[in-house]
Amino acid sequence: MREYKIVVLGSGGVGKSALTVQFVQCIFVEKYDPTIEDSYRKQVEVDGQQCMLEILDTAGTEQFTAMRDLYMKNGQGFVLVYSITAQSTFNDLQDLREQILRVKDTDDVPMVLVGNKCDLEEERVVGKELGKSLANQFNCAFMETSAKAKVNVNDIFYDLVRQINKKSPEKKQKKPKKSLCVLL
Amino acid sequence: MLTIGALANVKHILQKELFSVSDERLLSVVTVTKTFKKKDKRACYLCVVTTTPITVPVVSLCLVKQSEQRENEYKRKRSWALDEIKWVDGRNDQLETHEFDIQLEKLYKWYALHPHERQNFLAVLNRQIQKNVRGQRAEFRNIPSAWLSEKSPEKIAAGRTGDAALKAQQTDGEESEEEAQEFTALTDREATELGKLFSECDFAIKDAEQFIEQLSKELHDLDGANIQSVLASEQKVLKMMEHIDNAINEADKFETRLDSYEDILGHVKETMEKIGGKNAMIEIANNNNIKLMKELEKVITQLDLPHKQQQALEDPDFKTEAGIKAAIAAAQCLQQAMNSDIDSALLRLEAVQDQRKRFEKWKQKFSIFISRYMNNMFIHIGNEIGDLPLTSNELVLPNHSNVHQSLAPYTELMHWTKAMDNKTYAGLMRVYTASLCKIYDRDLRNFFNLAKMQVSDKLRSSREDLDASTTSRKAAVSTVPYGTLGVNRDQWGPGVDSADRVRFDALLEKVLAELEPIALQEQLFCINFFQMDVISPTTKNTQTTLEVMEKSVDMSQSFTAASPSTDGPFPQKRIDRQINEDVRNLMMGLFDCLEPELVIFIKSFERVDSFYSLYVLVRLTQHVMSAQDTHSFLSMTFASTLVQVKRNFDSFMKQQMQSIKESKLPKRSKAGILPYVENFENFAQTAEGIFRKSDRRTDMERWYLQLVNAIFETISEQSHEHPKTPHQVVRMENYHHMYSLLAQLKVRGLDGLKKEAKVRYNDALKAYVTHYFGRPLEKLNLFFEGVQQKVAQGVKETEISYQMAYSKQELRKVISQYPAREVKKGLENLYKKVEKHLCEEENLLQVVWHAMQEEFIAQYNYLEERIQKCYAGAMINLEFNIQDILTFFSDIARSH
Repeated sequence: MREYKIVVLGSGGVGKSALTVQFVQCIFVEKYDPTIEDSYRKQVEVDGQQCMLEILDTAGTEQFTAMRDLYMKNGQGFVLVYSITAQSTFNDLQDLREQILRVKDTDDVPMVLVGNKCDLEEERVVGKELGKSLANQFNCAFMETSAKAKVNVNDIFYDLVRQINKKSPEKKQKKPKKSLCVLL
Repeated sequence: MLTIGALANVKHILQKELFSVSDERLLSVVTVTKTFKKKDKRACYLCVVTTTPITVPVVSLCLVKQSEQRENEYKRKRSWALDEIKWVDGRNDQLETHEFDIQLEKLYKWYALHPHERQNFLAVLNRQIQKNVRGQRAEFRNIPSAWLSEKSPEKIAAGRTGDAALKAQQTDGEESEEEAQEFTALTDREATELGKLFSECDFAIKDAEQFIEQLSKELHDLDGANIQSVLASEQKVLKMMEHIDNAINEADKFETRLDSYEDILGHVKETMEKIGGKNAMIEIANNNNIKLMKELEKVITQLDLPHKQQQALEDPDFKTEAGIKAAIAAAQCLQQAMNSDIDSALLRLEAVQDQRKRFEKWKQKFSIFISRYMNNMFIHIGNEIGDLPLTSNELVLPNHSNVHQSLAPYTELMHWTKAMDNKTYAGLMRVYTASLCKIYDRDLRNFFNLAKMQVSDKLRSSREDLDASTTSRKAAVSTVPYGTLGVNRDQWGPGVDSADRVRFDALLEKVLAELEPIALQEQLFCINFFQMDVISPTTKNTQTTLEVMEKSVDMSQSFTAASPSTDGPFPQKRIDRQINEDVRNLMMGLFDCLEPELVIFIKSFERVDSFYSLYVLVRLTQHVMSAQDTHSFLSMTFASTLVQVKRNFDSFMKQQMQSIKESKLPKRSKAGILPYVENFENFAQTAEGIFRKSDRRTDMERWYLQLVNAIFETISEQSHEHPKTPHQVVRMENYHHMYSLLAQLKVRGLDGLKKEAKVRYNDALKAYVTHYFGRPLEKLNLFFEGVQQKVAQGVKETEISYQMAYSKQELRKVISQYPAREVKKGLENLYKKVEKHLCEEENLLQVVWHAMQEEFIAQYNYLEERIQKCYAGAMINLEFNIQDILTFFSDIARSH
């Protein structure tokens, strides 16, 4: 089974863990506890193929920014999360994206831009159009999600798996070389 | 032939004689004869007549005849309403036509005596028809259209459209006025004028001729007077002309004189203008000179460096306080002079450039002095402190505020170097970092060594205690880490108790608390000393405005370099980040070994205590999450270490999970409480002790859930594996243990699993009782099962005793097989079996025994009830009663 290393990035309190836990365990975590680092494994079927997702839920608070380079180096696909209720979390993603491209040294990195907390429509400050245009600029997929209302949560990860598949199709595992008997 | 006057006469007469009587008004009349009655020469008159009340005028056509007897008598022969007229035929278009026909109830052919009467009559008739007849109107044929169209087109239009009612009303008004004029000969004004005239010559009425004569005479007189006055005015006009000519001559003279004056003035003006121009030029020249002077003065004062300061630059004295002050003042003057605000055009002056070169020389010289001096100083400090022996063995990180104090006086010189000689500045920064790094390196290593020693000291002492207390244990060191859930306690390697953990925690806190002020102090000093909170606006080595820009490109470059500071909030954020990063890089250089040493130190716990990651996680989180300057070097170093610790924590938990899944059933006669169930108590209490008040509870609770779930799963799996103990007992005892443990822990996140443990325990208990207690009165049970079958087949319960197989005798026979003594003996055997199954630790024997007693009573009651139902009145009873059963059970329990 192919493994997919997915890293969830974004500023503090945007709902990275809520999205991840909702996807992995189908639970909405109401309480906010700043994450240090959590990793999860979940097996899913995408397009008829069994995949093992290894999701790294990272810290959003500033102290942990030094770890990002390492996360970016090891990750294959990235979920960039902001909260539609906080403009600064949206603004921070530009630098994050640039850092990913710098670390990966390529323009084509599987990535999904996610505007979370879309159930809090009355507190919205980042318009959907703004998100769309940033995704356009990033040349990546975009969705508005709600971990609480379970909107588009699975789609984030499925979309990312498809992107990874598209970018680097699975190499056919080389059959172990049959050792031939040789008569001497 | 009648004259016009005659006709008017006739009209007048007709009006007076005939129509006035009936209050009617004659509008038009024509004298006619009937063409077919040539003989009758008497005059007939066709009249258009209207009733006088104007509001609803009724217009009619009327035929009047002169009476045969008397000349002056007229008779109205016939009259028709206008709508009775079908058509009117003028016979032909010629003006001089006399005939015309009118179609009424029959055709009338008329001959008009006077064509103009005919014309007038037809026109009036047509107008009245147009005006008054609604619906089908009479047709007018062969009549000149001019007669009909006179005013009539407008009226037709008004009549048709209707919406122009006002206009129609107006024209109607005019019309009626016009008609009125024909009869009311004079208007009011004319009447008064005439009245006045007549009153002046009241004889006029009597003698018209005389009146006319008088009038013409007066007219003649007036003419004469008019001509006379015209003739008289001619002379006056001639005189007037003469006067005008004189005036013109005078005016000409005046004009020539004015012209000559103007000429003179023109000359004067020219001269004046020339003088004015000269004056302005002189003033401009003067102003320019003044400005030039000012500019020069400015340039000179700006570029002038006093001799004293030149000396201070050429031979600075950094050793005395006054010398430093003078050097700083001179350096600042130089910087100011080199950045003076001089127009770029003036920069091309050779004198300015010469001065600049002189400045450059001073700057370089001074910069070299600073560089050499500071360089020596940094190295000296590094060596001096490095050579100092470490004073104490206490766990304290030395404070270097004395270094900072000794460097503080030179702060402004460093700022100057940063602006004026960036290369030297960078070089000095490197030297500082290298020198101080050596000191911090030594300090930190020493500090952490001490800390590690304290850990191992504690370890050794506690290990000795441990060894002393458990001398019987084998000395061989186990490889199984202390506290592993899935392995029996006996096989654990050496560990520490909670008191040790508290000491370790305190030690870690002490280390972190020592690091923080030192790092913060150094960071503050560096920011201030190296002026790191300001980004230099130019990329050039030296900040100066005196260089002549060779190309415009340079200009734009310097602008772009300077622009971020003036832009909006976003670049400001960028600048902040750049500053933070620079500071962090410097700190990283200074505290090079901090992170690896810290990691090694934390690792030293690992060897001692496998649970270290729990409290290190909690302790370190407190420091990382509560940090104010979240971007500082120390916060980020701690955070990175924290991530490592979190990973260790997760992998420790994963190992625990794994050990549960891989654990083996203990090889003893009773399964009893499984090791991981037993160990979980200690584990959970340790974890709770560490996490109870921490922010990281969530991390722990996540693992609690997984661990407890794994325990449940493994209990169920392993319950079948023990050779002697039945699986119900394994489950019952272990779930019961888990239930009471979870109830004790009171972790809210585990409430669900606590309930589940209870359910599983109860299920296991029930299954055990059902299976092992079974049915001690088996044959009786079978007997009554047969009875039930018969009842089901339709036999009445009261008639069961008549069935051969289920007669009273048969029942008595079965009952007699269960005397009280035998039953008690069976129960005693059962008790022994249960005792063998159950372990002592969990102490569930009484619970199970009680459950069995309940079960037995339930079975007994059932049988009794059946007997009463089916064999009522037969006086059959079991050989023991409930009281007996209770006595059996309590006796057995007591005797063991």
